Amino acid sequence: MTAATLPVRHARAKGWWGMAVFVATEATLFGTLVGTYIYLRFHNTHWPPARLPKPPVLTPSLLTAALVATSIPMFVASRAVGAGRREVAWRALTVAFAVQVFYLVWQLHDYVDAIHRYPPQESAWASVYVTLLGAAHAHVLVGVLLNAWFLVRIWSRLTRYRAVGVQATAFYWHAVNVITLVVLVVQLSPHL
Amino acid sequence: MAVAAPSRERARIEALERAWLERPGALGWLTTVDHKRIGLLYFWTTLVFFAAGGIEALLMRTQLAQSGERVIGPETYDQLMTMHGVTMIFFFIIPMTTGAFGNYLVPLMIGARDMAFPRLNALSYWLFLGAGIFMYSSFLVHQAPNAGWFDYVPLALRRYDGGANVDFYALGLIFNTVSSTIGALNLIVTIFKLRAPGMSWNRMPLFCFAMLAASLSLIFALPALTADCIFLELQRKLGFHFFDQAHGGDPLLWQHLFWIFGHPEVYIIVLPAFGIATSIIPTFARHRMVAFPLVAMAELLVAFIGFGVWAHHMFATGIATTTLVFFAAASMLVVIPSTIQIYAWLMTVNVGTPQFRAPLMFIGGFILFFVIGGLSGIMFAAIPFDQATTDTYFVVAHFHFIIFGAAVFPLLGGIYYWFPKVTGRMYDERLAQLSFWLTFVGTGLTFFPMHIVGLLGMTRRIYTYDHGLGWDAYNLVETIGGFVLAAGLLLIGINIVLSYRRGVPSGRDPFHGGTLEWTTTSPPPHYNFAVIPTVSSPYPNWDEADREEDLRKLARGELVLADGHETPETTVNDGAISAVAEMPPESPWPVLAAGTVTAAFFLLLTSHYATAGMAFALMLLTLVGWNLHEPEEGVG
Repeated sequence: MTAATLPVRHARAKGWWGMAVFVATEATLFGTLVGTYIYLRFHNTHWPPARLPKPPVLTPSLLTAALVATSIPMFVASRAVGAGRREVAWRALTVAFAVQVFYLVWQLHDYVDAIHRYPPQESAWASVYVTLLGAAHAHVLVGVLLNAWFLVRIWSRLTRYRAVGVQATAFYWHAVNVITLVVLVVQLSPHL
Repeated sequence: MAVAAPSRERARIEALERAWLERPGALGWLTTVDHKRIGLLYFWTTLVFFAAGGIEALLMRTQLAQSGERVIGPETYDQLMTMHGVTMIFFFIIPMTTGAFGNYLVPLMIGARDMAFPRLNALSYWLFLGAGIFMYSSFLVHQAPNAGWFDYVPLALRRYDGGANVDFYALGLIFNTVSSTIGALNLIVTIFKLRAPGMSWNRMPLFCFAMLAASLSLIFALPALTADCIFLELQRKLGFHFFDQAHGGDPLLWQHLFWIFGHPEVYIIVLPAFGIATSIIPTFARHRMVAFPLVAMAELLVAFIGFGVWAHHMFATGIATTTLVFFAAASMLVVIPSTIQIYAWLMTVNVGTPQFRAPLMFIGGFILFFVIGGLSGIMFAAIPFDQATTDTYFVVAHFHFIIFGAAVFPLLGGIYYWFPKVTGRMYDERLAQLSFWLTFVGTGLTFFPMHIVGLLGMTRRIYTYDHGLGWDAYNLVETIGGFVLAAGLLLIGINIVLSYRRGVPSGRDPFHGGTLEWTTTSPPPHYNFAVIPTVSSPYPNWDEADREEDLRKLARGELVLADGHETPETTVNDGAISAVAEMPPESPWPVLAAGTVTAAFFLLLTSHYATAGMAFALMLLTLVGWNLHEPEEGVG
């Protein structure tokens, strides 16, 4: 390739920057959702309404802890593809993927319960609660799909294009993990 | 530069031609990833929407020409008024500035061969087209959006607006924001990563600074609108409660979120216009922009302050006065970066030797209208004045001076300015100057009397008014002005079409412009530059030694990158080469993906949620097809 003849300085690839800008806009979306929760909270005396049971604490906290821990294997995978170590990357991705799928399945199961327990047609609190959790789970689903894709892709061969993809996906997961933590805090806020 | 090139150089250019060639014919336009062709697709599509929005405006002006007119009824008027606003903002100015001008010009100005993500670029165009078709299909069922472009609740709730009108609005805008977000993301990464070697921030054209500021604003402002529209649809279709007091919601939430998007939006609209002004002025004043770094900072600062002023659209909603005072002060702050730019434009013309050709004349009109609209804007920052004139035609006058006078005039000037670059032919200067005077006089006649009728008490959004209020004469003048303006715009269209057919060949650089797009042929080749230019100042086309060095590099084969479909990636700060990016070839997947999304939105509109989910799943499959073809596989 021509690159060999050029003086080249190491820097993040454009694919990584694309993910960074995407994460910026998604973080703003969650900022809007959390802002809406807080805004409506100050327009209500009882938040959540007194007739509703308070949201659960233990299960979402433990699940979130598990999900946030996947940042470690994602970091390992991201480093490994940079160094061209395909097998290490693949194994780290597999570990992360297993935990993420476990998290998503459990959360979706609880989500269906939540919709029955707090029907969004019931009150503004239930509406914004269900919307916020749904948005968070949708972002985890996107991350799971991305990981599934790269597990298939780097099974056989690692190219620069795929390596940048894994690095961008790792960055996405770090962001989603932070977002999930923020959503958890909002979810638990009635207990504070 | 291709004239009588020795055979080795010719061979390199032919290799580039082969690497960058796209499929001919209509299919080629469907699968294209060339930023110039996508820019042209954007240009012609937005022009169609501009015409539609203009016809809507003329129908309204005809209805308002006299008191008690019966041209169109109130329901039709509401739909036309709403669609006029929605079209002009979301389907004309944003896609025209970022989509058409940004797409076509940014890669050329920074010395790149394409946008950072060419297929994503195609996707953003096809999504935009899908959203436009979605929004305009509402006319076919006589249920076009009808609650104003700001779509305030509770009017927009199902109880008061039971048809599909507002559903078209909310879903159509969610759809449109996806397209705009992708476009803005692409522009940001292109500007960050694909600048020519040597183009550090202080050497980047001010046009690109303006595009960067507008794109960053889009990235951070659009989510508020998207969330707002999602809330509205969840409430309208599934019975959620966000905006109704009875269940703990709040109608003002809509307005807050709408204007958190809506005010940055004003700068998103007007910043590219600033960018065009800072391109045209140095060329025709024959002088580099004065206070270059200050103007660059001012462009970014306008975008930044734009996020802290949204509640000045809500001075009459009963929010606490202490809150309002903060927003009034922040709104006053916008004056500073705006004035820096106005003085810089005027001083550049002053110290240079200006040639008043059509593009510069439009910039002159722009500066005048921007000052008028800016002055009435400062008046609104005074809370009592705003409360007294809220919902009158004074407001309509103010924002049309900004949105039409300040945002569209530079676009019109820009169309003339870059016409030779895009087509290789000159426009007709005499017709162009005539079109300037028609649009200039038309704009003044249409929008200036609105200040007066507004102060006389005429409210906005009314479809008719009584005789004897003293409004008739002004309204008649406005309507006549509207048709003069339309004639001027039509003349621009005629000029474009005629000149495209039989204009004199313009050559590479008819105006002796300073930025990189003038260093390549007109129209530019698919690969933009035979040699990736190396930049040492903000006006590289005026650095003759550098450009001669580029020619010698072609002979030596340096920075030609003819081995594949390649463009250099550079570092974000100083523009040092960090990699050579292999760009993807043309692809059918973006248009297919956009097709599935369009289908999904129509299914959501008709409440077929499960089928809509299947359409989205189909879109995921198109993304698999998309990603199976990696750019590097072409090289092997």
